[in-house]
Amino acid sequence: MSTSPRRFPLLIAALLGVVVLGLAFLGLRPSRAPTVEAAAPAASAPGAGRTITHAQGSTVVAPHPKQVLVFDLAALDTLDALGVEVRGVAGEYFPGPLAKYADAKKYPRFGTLFEPDYEAVHAARPDLIITGGRTSARYAKLAAMAPTIDQTTDDAHYLDTVVGNTERLATVFGKEDQARALIGGLRQSIEALKGTTSTRGKGLIVLTSGGRMSAYGPGSRFGVLHESFGIPPAAPSLKASLHGEAIGSEFILETNPDWLFVIDRDAAIGEGGGAQRLLDNELVRQTTAWKQGQVVYLDPADTYLIGGGIQSVRRLLEQISDAYAKPRQPPAP
Amino acid sequence: MPTRSPDSPLLPEPAFALPGPRGPLPLLALAGLGVLVLAGTSLLIGVSRVSWDALLAPAEHPRALQVLVISRVPRTLALVLAGMSLGVAGLIMQMLARNRFVEPFTAGTAESASLGLLVVTLLAPGIPILARTAVAAGFSMAGTALFLLILRRIPLRSALVVPVVGLVLGAIFDAATTFFAYRFSLLQSLMAWTTGDFSSVLRGRYELLWGAFVLTVLAYVVADRFTVAGMGEAFTTNLGLSHPRIVALGLAIVAMVTAVVVATVGMIPFIGLVVPNVVSLIVGDNARRAIPWVAVLGAGFVLLCDVVGRVVRQPYEIPVGTVAGVVGSLVFLHLLFRRDSRVG
Repeated sequence: MSTSPRRFPLLIAALLGVVVLGLAFLGLRPSRAPTVEAAAPAASAPGAGRTITHAQGSTVVAPHPKQVLVFDLAALDTLDALGVEVRGVAGEYFPGPLAKYADAKKYPRFGTLFEPDYEAVHAARPDLIITGGRTSARYAKLAAMAPTIDQTTDDAHYLDTVVGNTERLATVFGKEDQARALIGGLRQSIEALKGTTSTRGKGLIVLTSGGRMSAYGPGSRFGVLHESFGIPPAAPSLKASLHGEAIGSEFILETNPDWLFVIDRDAAIGEGGGAQRLLDNELVRQTTAWKQGQVVYLDPADTYLIGGGIQSVRRLLEQISDAYAKPRQPPAP
Repeated sequence: MPTRSPDSPLLPEPAFALPGPRGPLPLLALAGLGVLVLAGTSLLIGVSRVSWDALLAPAEHPRALQVLVISRVPRTLALVLAGMSLGVAGLIMQMLARNRFVEPFTAGTAESASLGLLVVTLLAPGIPILARTAVAAGFSMAGTALFLLILRRIPLRSALVVPVVGLVLGAIFDAATTFFAYRFSLLQSLMAWTTGDFSSVLRGRYELLWGAFVLTVLAYVVADRFTVAGMGEAFTTNLGLSHPRIVALGLAIVAMVTAVVVATVGMIPFIGLVVPNVVSLIVGDNARRAIPWVAVLGAGFVLLCDVVGRVVRQPYEIPVGTVAGVVGSLVFLHLLFRRDSRVG
């Protein structure tokens, strides 16, 4: 079947348009090229390792590993606090507090959190690989290449695992003193916060993404607010689920929380956040939280992306403490 | 100018010449009543307690009336408008492509609209919703035009080739969207805004859908042209009409409706596919007769899916896109097994 020649240019124009669009897009972003320098031979003394137990079993790790690859932002955050230098990182996006790792010259990239660049990892001959959260599903494959420890946090025992993860890294790198100070400070601040939160009303955690909302309760990935920071849940029936429960504004109106904690997922990944626009509606405006100015936009990087690093938990805690420390606004008329 | 023969095997019996009754009107009234009942149910279902008692005594239950006006009525209207316009868009697409398996979600229309939305989000995240929708409409128009152009260039041996082409094209747009969403870490946001979901519909946040309604009315006004276009290009030209112009008009309506719906509430699959097929079983292929039916049943379908999604896990929700996918695929399979002799 043939086409009249008149239509030909139209089709070509359409195809051309698609190609131009594609090229324009490719130009938007510098091509990523995780150049891996010639790998230094692993400098571990065999037989001198110690056994480290972690979320996915136990691993023999050489003392004072130098060539460390990190596939977890939370672990990166904790290592940063402990003052441990790393050989390489993974991912494309290093939010605020971890911005220094975005320097690909200093910290070469080994794929993304979900898809490690196995060949680069293999060529780098690391002494230690650290996985967690988003990369934990790739643990087995990475563990076959080099000693690997997994730092996944358990949402049901969030704070315990954050502490445990910090202690584990401290043991591996011989930074026990620093870890003790960090953990001690965190515990103290938590106790102080608990004293205020328990008497100041109930809270609801809402994550917004792409114009939709979902609610999270105790035991969920953000449940630490209820369980460890002592904020009574406004909707205790919320079950723990990774992506929360889809809700509408009516749910917030009926739950009527005294505190509304908002995680703007789109802001976490660098897009102009629409959480405020989404929540500022006739229904949510009637809640106690909104009327009293007790809507807290949690730092999306610390809650959503880095969540679980010892510093990110501390920053989250500070943010909530600040919110509770502010003088109460008189109820709007 | 070489063209397909007008009696291509794609179209079943030419329904144009049917002298029969004007369609069973009492049945249409009954369906309309059913939709009203569903709409009433939709008004009363939700997290807040809104009942007739509460509404009749607004002094005691001021919140009930408020929730009704701010949340329930807009949501129900949005459901009706989206259902009507998507159903009619599906009908027009089926006539233009002369194939029963085509709808905006199997022809790359919705996928290209979604690509357009992603482009807007990346390049100009803060622009107003109207501009977003306009860009999405431009993309979906281009995508659908590409689909129809490809259809003209490939030899059609079976009715199944058409939707396969549409699915392939849609998958290509989808792949492009997913690629850029992945590169910019927008995958989850993309999923959230493309899944059909009315949970964020409130007064002031759905009104764009009235635009889709206007387009649906326009489609009804010019319905006869689509019926003629469904007979093929040569037939249309013989009647003294410009086939390309009808196609362009239909394309514009379908693309704009799809873009408006995708931009405000996300993708709702199967309405444009299932509803026109059911209607054609009842009243045949005359667009003027079919459009009221498609509008009523489309609204009913979306209402039903959303009510189910809101009831199953109260007080949480299941997005209407998910429910429509399940319900729609079941109905569609049923249709396929029932009328396999007619679709081929």
